[in-house]
Amino acid sequence: MATESSGFEFEFDPGFESDRLRIAWYAFIGVLLAGGAVAAYIRLTEGMASTNLTSIVPWGSWVAFYIYFVGLSAGAFLVSTMANVFEIEGMHRIDRDALFAAIISMVVALLFVWIDLGRMDRMYFPFIWRQLTSALSWEVHAYVAYIGILVTELYFSMRIDLARVAERASGLRERFYTVLTLGRDDTGEASQAFDRRWLKRAGILGIPLAIFTVHGGTGVLFAVSKARPYWNSGLFPVIFVISALLSGTALVMMIYVLRTKLFDGDSVDPELLDRLAQLLIGFIIIDAALTAIEAFIPLASLHPHEIETWQVIMYGPMSWSFWWFMVGLSWVFPMVLLSKKSWRRTPSVMVLAGLSVVIGIIAVRFNIVIPAQILPVMEGLPHGSYFPTLVEWGSSIGIMAVGLLLYTLGAETLPLTPLGGDHE
Amino acid sequence: MSSADGETLPGVPSVGRDEFDAMVDAETTDPREELADVDADTDLGIEMAEDAKRVARGDLSGDEYWAKHDAAAAAEFGDDYRETPNPAVDAGDQTVSTEAAESMQCTVGSMDTVAAESVGTGDGEGGIGAGDEKWGMVIDLQKCVGCDSCTVACKAENRTPPGVSYNVVMEEEHGEFPNTTRTNVPKPCMQCENPPCVQVCPVSATYKMDDGVVNIDYDRCIGCRYCMIACPYGARYFDFGENYDDEVDEAGEITSPEYGVDRGKREENKSPIGNVRKCSFCTHRLERGEEPACVETCVGDARNMGDLDDPDSEVAAMADSSRAFQLKEDEGTDPNVYYLK
Repeated sequence: MATESSGFEFEFDPGFESDRLRIAWYAFIGVLLAGGAVAAYIRLTEGMASTNLTSIVPWGSWVAFYIYFVGLSAGAFLVSTMANVFEIEGMHRIDRDALFAAIISMVVALLFVWIDLGRMDRMYFPFIWRQLTSALSWEVHAYVAYIGILVTELYFSMRIDLARVAERASGLRERFYTVLTLGRDDTGEASQAFDRRWLKRAGILGIPLAIFTVHGGTGVLFAVSKARPYWNSGLFPVIFVISALLSGTALVMMIYVLRTKLFDGDSVDPELLDRLAQLLIGFIIIDAALTAIEAFIPLASLHPHEIETWQVIMYGPMSWSFWWFMVGLSWVFPMVLLSKKSWRRTPSVMVLAGLSVVIGIIAVRFNIVIPAQILPVMEGLPHGSYFPTLVEWGSSIGIMAVGLLLYTLGAETLPLTPLGGDHE
Repeated sequence: MSSADGETLPGVPSVGRDEFDAMVDAETTDPREELADVDADTDLGIEMAEDAKRVARGDLSGDEYWAKHDAAAAAEFGDDYRETPNPAVDAGDQTVSTEAAESMQCTVGSMDTVAAESVGTGDGEGGIGAGDEKWGMVIDLQKCVGCDSCTVACKAENRTPPGVSYNVVMEEEHGEFPNTTRTNVPKPCMQCENPPCVQVCPVSATYKMDDGVVNIDYDRCIGCRYCMIACPYGARYFDFGENYDDEVDEAGEITSPEYGVDRGKREENKSPIGNVRKCSFCTHRLERGEEPACVETCVGDARNMGDLDDPDSEVAAMADSSRAFQLKEDEGTDPNVYYLK
């Protein structure tokens, strides 16, 4: 759908290049959603008894996925600020991709919080009653503010292209895009400058919000638990942010390649890919180093509870998730793929590296949440054990499928790629 | 001597009824001696007691009994008598007819209604947990034999579902035979002065009451379980909605009025299912002037309940002794449950 216009030329054809791929993709999401719906139905009718959670291990896979997606969101958002706040050259291309992925991740994260509540019907209570000393109370509000910032940013980043598309569309499509511009349909230089200014302002506000409250705060939520020495460290929230940046960068890199190839039908910019890949190298090193420090300090303290927790992580029945997923997939394997310059410029290799990190960080989140609950808080109480039930796995996959669906629908309709190439 | 009809059972000592009765009589205190210590009229007391026995035997009707003694009792006990409800009209099989009950000078009403009126209004304000006391428990580990009857009594009193046990006894064996020791540490909720659970609750559903007990508002709790993560004592339990239906018929018909709230039958999707639960020091019993079920049942009298703010109370003295300690003292939680080594 090429459209001619005076002064500005662009091509706007979002959505899959291949119709067969589109059908296959939606069918895949449909299968996941159907499975998730069955699991969610069992969850709703049988309550929390459908999980493998106990009073000894009260937090499980849903909490792990919740912090995983909050991290993914915060990481993707911070990558977007490299374009719209720090104005790093060539990064504008991925600005909207990162913002949109951050929004969807946040929606998915909140769905995980919701399904995890013992009383799902009371999900709005934290907005009615508060507790100033509760990190969770603050977090819930921070998430809402953060989603507000993300949506604001995406709007200012994308509005001019929405207006351009609306200008050339007709009927329902015109209405759709006009509504999304919120009536600001000016495509002139002045309006673009206005948008950029406010985009930057929102981004500046968003950075501390994302680092200190949204994801750092989620780390604080765990770190304040003095009853769980494994979490009770000052470095903990910092590692939270770093691993968020790691997973967010990997996600954005993956999305950039896949959407450029499969939706835009363009070729990937090797310079941009290399830049993202180098960023990923930096984050892997920082994440691994800080995790080593975080392990070393308690081990050196000889505090029995902490040593035993690390023993559970490294040698316990679930140690495969630490060695294969956390160390292997999120650090070692991607590091190998990122080591060669020619590989860093090969889209397929970088998709593999990104996917590896994105999956590996899931294990990082599980290894945060579960091991701290295995050892009893008091000698004489029983040890915990936990592995999610089919209902927990199924509902988790279903919730993620909701995210995939929302993302795909957005990518098929919105101008996530700046119109006119790197024009912006 | 064997019984007259020769119904002697093998293995059962052949002791006659008369001997039992004689034993009872020997143990019985002299009523006159017993009543001499009381301010009230001794003769009236003995007369009323003798007549009460006749009522029990059926020699005298309830109506006749009260017609005979109402005036004398009112004269002797005054307001105490007039304000006390007559328990005889409680049930359907009452011993006093309605007419007789109405003619009496004492308050007439079922004990239940009177009890319900007095609960929570004792202090005139605030309702449950508003008392001036600071409830505390002292558990003497030298007296604890590890019988777990506190755990059982607690389950029976609070009617907790499977997987929820407000009180547990942590039992550990140390050493090698023959030099072994066994420690039993009964563990209810510590009702901390600085409770981490209260600190983390995002909706303030758990909070400290004036009497020191940490409350959970089951109507507000969203079931996020953050308090369970924060509790250093593992004292909190999640109600997964399980029931003892297979073990006990109609297990969920009655629930305990925890924190003074009667929630009726246990039903699906109804609080406290999906909420976090814990020991309440049997607040509903404290409000009635009763000890918590675990304290009352303890076979070795190892558990003591009282007001820590009252320097004359036994628990205050025990909590102050050199034997006293708290669990995880370095956590800064300052539990109101003390142990004696």
